[in-house]
Amino acid sequence: MNFDDYQLEASVYDEMFDPAGAPREHCRELHEALGQLSSEQLSSIQERVTRSFSNEGISFTVYGDEEGEERIIPVDCLPRVLPGAEWRQLEKGLDQRIKALNLFLEDVYGEARIIDDGVIPVDVVRDCPQYRVEMRGFSAPQGVWVAICGTDLVRTNDGFMVLEDNLRVPSGVSYMIANRKAVKASLRRLYRSSRVRDVEQYGRLLHETLLELAPGGRSEPCIALLTPGVYNSAFYEHMFLAREIGAELVEGRDLLVNDGFVYMRTTTGLRRVDVIYRRVDDDFLDPLVFRPDSLLGTPGLLHAYKQGNVALANAPGTGVADDKSVYAYVPDMIRYYLSEEPVLANVETYLCRRPEDLEYTLDNLEHLVVKRVGGSGGYGMLVGPHATPQEREDYAAELRRNPADFISQPTLALSRSPCLIDGAFEPRHVDLRPFVLRGRTTRMVPGAFCRVAMRRGSLVVNSSQGGGGKDLWVLED
Amino acid sequence: MLSRSAQGLYWMGRYLERSEFLCRLLLLQTEALVDRPIREIHSGWVRIYDSLHRDPPVGSLELLGSDDFTLADSYTLADHLTFDRSNPDSIWSCFAMGRENARQMRHCISTELWASLNLAYLRIQKLGMQDIWLTSPEGFYADMAAEMNTFSGVAGATMYRDEGWRFMQLGRFIERSQMSISLFLSQLSEDARRGESSEADWTRLLRFYHAFETYNRRYSIQVRPDQVLDLLATDPLLPDSLCRSLDRTAADLDSIGPAPDAKASDAARRLAGRTAALIHYQWPDGEDRRELLLQAQDHCRELHHLLAAAYFDYAAETFPGR
Repeated sequence: MNFDDYQLEASVYDEMFDPAGAPREHCRELHEALGQLSSEQLSSIQERVTRSFSNEGISFTVYGDEEGEERIIPVDCLPRVLPGAEWRQLEKGLDQRIKALNLFLEDVYGEARIIDDGVIPVDVVRDCPQYRVEMRGFSAPQGVWVAICGTDLVRTNDGFMVLEDNLRVPSGVSYMIANRKAVKASLRRLYRSSRVRDVEQYGRLLHETLLELAPGGRSEPCIALLTPGVYNSAFYEHMFLAREIGAELVEGRDLLVNDGFVYMRTTTGLRRVDVIYRRVDDDFLDPLVFRPDSLLGTPGLLHAYKQGNVALANAPGTGVADDKSVYAYVPDMIRYYLSEEPVLANVETYLCRRPEDLEYTLDNLEHLVVKRVGGSGGYGMLVGPHATPQEREDYAAELRRNPADFISQPTLALSRSPCLIDGAFEPRHVDLRPFVLRGRTTRMVPGAFCRVAMRRGSLVVNSSQGGGGKDLWVLED
Repeated sequence: MLSRSAQGLYWMGRYLERSEFLCRLLLLQTEALVDRPIREIHSGWVRIYDSLHRDPPVGSLELLGSDDFTLADSYTLADHLTFDRSNPDSIWSCFAMGRENARQMRHCISTELWASLNLAYLRIQKLGMQDIWLTSPEGFYADMAAEMNTFSGVAGATMYRDEGWRFMQLGRFIERSQMSISLFLSQLSEDARRGESSEADWTRLLRFYHAFETYNRRYSIQVRPDQVLDLLATDPLLPDSLCRSLDRTAADLDSIGPAPDAKASDAARRLAGRTAALIHYQWPDGEDRRELLLQAQDHCRELHHLLAAAYFDYAAETFPGR
């Protein structure tokens, strides 16, 4: 099948083609291989990939749907390819970022030098709902607040940029591995000859990272993965990861805290837990400290953590560093803590808490993306150019009411990658979420969950909003 | 292993066993619809609902004079027992619950077992009674029962024989024992109600247990209810016999070992052994098998509660050394 009808736009970076319409160097092999396949062959490959997801039950839940309805995440069979050199640059930037973010968290809950030195205004931190006063004065073991980070990167004609850091309970890594497994099995020859770097060792790296966090002196630390339960949208992933790292998959009710130590109920009695990879939000973690109505958490967990008797990954309170207002200051953090220039750029961000930024945002609503500072998953955001005048007006009213709750960013022309849509190649907007692990060192696999806005023209890649995924191939040099 | 995981696997075993049992019951019942007299079809439905301790959705099963009525009722009843989402005892509900437990405990079972369960689920999910009734309902139940056997085979071939496996097996065998006892009791009641026993019913029971040929060889080609019951309850060589299910229950419990609540797990172990011994050694030659079966039924129920108290819901009192 050829790319004759595939449309390029000068303002949008295409992952496969250069502006002149020739396949980029690192995509030539893929381009040629796709050209040799008939439309029927491609459709059957796509069918096989989709079926493998449905057969294996790789599902997620959308909130607001009938409770617990399992949906299969749409997956596109055409890989997105990155040359090794580009990846190395991203890797460098991500390593720098996770170090700076951890130093920021240690500082902001400690002496707050960064505020005293005037790098970040105090109200940005103080007003952030994710700033946990309960963590004030706490120093995380080995300085690791964020052990698992999923950073959303986008590419425009100006290069890669960080769209946001997810430092609380980022998800999607299981789709990265599932996409790889399904696509690899369907494009066997091409995969072999393309010399793609492996991502399947993620579980091992995660395990090594979690072991490094275990309280000192424990010879065989017991690791548990704490899930909110089967109705959580990412339950498949929790199950998958527990299996990958050989951890017990626990819910809050399986744990109990006694005298500052955490135990889980097993068939042979209580067993001490040393490390908890928690996929439960701060709010629900410990009803004694956070939301008292939470049934998902374990009373006393935070106390046990602060005593150093159990490790939590990630630590409570990390949300302050991925708040969308604080995000704007990450490049400054990198300069401040590491004395380095940021490798990865931020997206220009207007903090509506500042009167001049609010005014600019209101004046340019039709060009901007407006997001809630504490939001995630693509819920409650306004994509100005795609909204109706009425939607923009309603949103503007809310903006005026609570300006500090919002930030705005220029609507980015996210890069596009070819997808197989109804048997033809069509461009769709994509981003990527690599997963970065931080224990004593930084670890990551050369790959990412590549998210795709499956609807034509859409810029929203979140799976809860109709987004899908595709495999990302990082090539060996 | 985590108590909740063990509990999930136990329930998975129970639900899957129950749906297999139901498939086999409905297979025989729908076969009977083809050529058996109305009276027999009627008593077949009574026996099924009786053994589930449930009332049929159409109220009491009055024996209606007309063939048309009984066959129309049969559609409703078969649907209620097969696809009805609101009936917790339908094949669909039991299978979906078994699969749901498997989904939640996927990290504790083999990938192969999960895949085979999920594939069957995706296939059956799309079906309704109208899809199977006119062509071959027996074919559907036979395929489904064969699929259930495949699950056991896949599980047996791929799963590590750890505690999780034992709890899953425990669930299967306790469920199987209870269902068998219920089925025997409901057949005995049906005979008592009518004041005579039907050879066709007992033959069907033999076929339910894949024991018809064995019975012919071991006893005679004349089907005698007391001998059928002897075979189905006490023959340790028959794969699904009651005594075998009880033996397996006791053996699995033994290999799981003591629970945090050692008193409860000891009691469970003793009770399981005693129940098996009841069938092995106290099985009466003469009339009163009903009494003994009722006693075994109580034991099985209690065993279920003891298991939960011993391994799943024990009081957290002893904290291990740090």
